[in-house]
Amino acid sequence: MNPLTGTGHLVRLALRRERTIAPWWILLIVTLALAMVAYINRNMGTYELKLTYIGLIRSNAFLQGLGGGFVEPRLEVLATWRSGGFLYVASAFAAVMSVVRHTRGEEDAGRSELVRSAVVGRRAQLTAAMLVATGVSLFGGLVTAVVLIGIGLEPIGSLAYGAAITVAGWVFAGVAAVAAQLSRNARTATAVGLSALAVSYVLRYAGDASGQYWLKYPSPIGWSHLVQAYQDERWWMLGVSILAGAVLLAVAYQLLGRRDLGAGLLSERLGRARAPELRGPISLAWRLHRGLLVKWTAGVAFFTAAAAGLSPLGRDLLSRPSILADNIRNTLGVPADETLGAYSWYMILILAYAIALYPVLMTLRLREEEISGRAEAVQATPVTRLRWAAGHLVVTGLGTTALMAVAGLVFGTLYSVLVGDLATDMPRFLAGALGAVPAVWCVGAVCVLAYGLLPRASVAISWTVWILTAALGQVAGPLYGRWGGSPLEPLHYIPNAFAAAPLDAGPVVALLAVTAILLGGGLLALRRRDFG
Amino acid sequence: MSDAISVTGLVKTFGATRALDGLDLVVGTGEVHGFLGPNGAGKSTTIRILLGMLRADAGTARLLGGDPWADATELHRRLAYVPGDVTLWPHLSGGEVIDLLGRLRGGLDERRRAELLERFDLDPRKKSRAYSKGNRQKVALIAALASDAELLILDEPTTGLDPLMEEVFRETVREEQRRGNRTVLLSSHILAEVEELCDRVTIIKDGRTVESGTLAGLRHLSRTSIQADLAAPTDGLADLPGVHDLRAEGDRVWFDVDTAALDAVLRHLTDVGVRGLVSRPPTLEELFLRHYDRTGAGNGRHAGAAR
Ligand SMILES: Nc1ncnc2c1ncn2[C@@H]1O[C@H](COP(=O)(O)OP(=O)(O)OP(=O)(O)O)[C@@H](O)[C@H]1O
Ligand SMILES: [Mg+2]
Repeated sequence: MNPLTGTGHLVRLALRRERTIAPWWILLIVTLALAMVAYINRNMGTYELKLTYIGLIRSNAFLQGLGGGFVEPRLEVLATWRSGGFLYVASAFAAVMSVVRHTRGEEDAGRSELVRSAVVGRRAQLTAAMLVATGVSLFGGLVTAVVLIGIGLEPIGSLAYGAAITVAGWVFAGVAAVAAQLSRNARTATAVGLSALAVSYVLRYAGDASGQYWLKYPSPIGWSHLVQAYQDERWWMLGVSILAGAVLLAVAYQLLGRRDLGAGLLSERLGRARAPELRGPISLAWRLHRGLLVKWTAGVAFFTAAAAGLSPLGRDLLSRPSILADNIRNTLGVPADETLGAYSWYMILILAYAIALYPVLMTLRLREEEISGRAEAVQATPVTRLRWAAGHLVVTGLGTTALMAVAGLVFGTLYSVLVGDLATDMPRFLAGALGAVPAVWCVGAVCVLAYGLLPRASVAISWTVWILTAALGQVAGPLYGRWGGSPLEPLHYIPNAFAAAPLDAGPVVALLAVTAILLGGGLLALRRRDFG
Repeated sequence: MSDAISVTGLVKTFGATRALDGLDLVVGTGEVHGFLGPNGAGKSTTIRILLGMLRADAGTARLLGGDPWADATELHRRLAYVPGDVTLWPHLSGGEVIDLLGRLRGGLDERRRAELLERFDLDPRKKSRAYSKGNRQKVALIAALASDAELLILDEPTTGLDPLMEEVFRETVREEQRRGNRTVLLSSHILAEVEELCDRVTIIKDGRTVESGTLAGLRHLSRTSIQADLAAPTDGLADLPGVHDLRAEGDRVWFDVDTAALDAVLRHLTDVGVRGLVSRPPTLEELFLRHYDRTGAGNGRHAGAAR
């Protein structure tokens, strides 16, 4: 049989599932591209304002890394500089998820057996997944280009920009195709694919932030930046991405030929015959989720260390008079000699917004346990539904606290060693980081409420909650022109350990109360509703 | 309380689907009760209501003298459950899952655990994601059978087992039966298994109970197939009550007859004169097929009767 037989059918099948997912990605990409054009037009209407903005970017490594590349005082360059750093990653992310969903995800669900036993070639499933994923990337880039041309941006540059978005998806579709062959299940495949994405983002970011631009060349995300749409349009960089994607796909085909259905290339190790430590819902939840917590701890420690390592750079920047330094001082109301601490505090806040994703992901796992039927097996024992949920929530709550503590400890230690004083700064950072815990809990508690009340919509709601928290928050807020961020999200109320004003316990108590109410409501609804 | 399970008029809807539509089910203490019905009939839904996972829209359900929703915790101490579609935590080994479920249930019998592992020939060290469907099912079965629960609720427990393991399962259930005091609700599509193990059966279809009773009693409800060579052609047969699917070729006739009408029909045949007679007792298959048949009129041709 031709190894590609049946690909057409599988593409149609995959498209049916994709039609509830892909349109949102494309919408997100196009909307963001448009929003940035509008943003620059609104806030930097004149050439002088654009120049000021560029000055701000050039003097700040953090901002420089965020958008990447060289900026010029032109609308299209500034707008795509703002959106590109995010859109290339979004396109790559969507491709990884899509390829894994239609290959390894299908195998995990056992549907591949059903499909492959029909008249379908060995390579058909991977091919169909690649066609669908690369098609979505192509569409996302194309629509963006057309829309940007439509609002009057330069056509050639717009096409280059759209193509750069598309090829980012193509390379990572190839990465995911290989990851799907190496791993034993979809979760691992996703983790491998997204790790590759994270590494290439970090390389690209580090290159732009530090001025070591060669770091962008080994990074597939960097290749899209290097296309330099609206500037000198290096088309051949697109070829690099396409070639890399094709090579990865060829490797994936080779690997596919060497493994059995449902198996990975690495053989399975035996587990233990007994489990003396599994005695109740909490020990079970710990056993199930400790792997995720370990990964998060390592990630948080790594990024915190990287951020804290920039403290000397921050000191140099802030010791010179600049708009940024004034801005920070004014907004946070700190005395001049505390500016560096406040800047570092801002870094801790960024970590808090990232760590807020952890309780959100843990709530998603609650739903996963439910629909897989595994939670039913537990609840058919004397363990009640509430105790089952409580086991997961205890691990979530303590895990969140541990992550914030790690962030505070690592930052405090490195900061003290590099530019501060261990005795005074270290406790301040630790206390400050732990002060953020109730707010982060609160984000998770909203997801628990959604899980209890609207289980079917809870996955979408949970993601929305986190995205809104981050988008409305004090980190993204200032970048979009507002220093304070929105008071609608809980992290707004984190007490600033560096502010001149004495710490106020009021917001913390209020946040704890709100968290308790949300959790209580979610659990009550969970207890009363149908399960499964 | 002599009934382990008693359900009357149970209704459960999922949006537009009416999964249960006035279902009745009575399982006496100590009996092995077969629970049958075509795909989508509502067996798993009934079981999930009995476990307190779903809340019924109408009707009453009593389990071991308690309310399955309100008294779930106390009731779950006294029962063990094997789901129809066994999913396990991919990273835990089979042995770990058995230990976990046993301990959550309040402890498991170590000797019995070892014995069942041996009999079902299961390697407890394999990770759950590496198990085949049958092996996953074995994990759930061993966890349930190693407990000393007084009620076992088994939802199609043998669909993935090979014939050898299926025999081990039957043996184990028979042993439980002999020990007494264990009630078993066994949902199954395997008629031989039901015929061998069950004292009574309930057949449901489209969320409603269509038949319930002992197997002997149900057989009684079914029809006997008859092929007769007569001394002369006869016309009167078709008019007799209880005769179905009559076919005639010269002196030879084929038909099915209700058990209740057997006397009158045989009398009619002997009046004409019988030269040869083949009669086949009703099989359970025929009974089930009649109920499983989606067109469901009940007077469809009996399998093989007219060959
Ligand atoms: N959670 C649910 N949401 C919507 N519909 C459901 C749900 N659970 C069951 N149903 C529907 O209820 C009906 C009964 O399903 P059930 O699983 O109880 O059947 P069953 O008798 O166990 O079938 P099988 O022999 O295939 O296991 C089916 O039509 C099914 O589609
Ligand atoms: Mg079922």
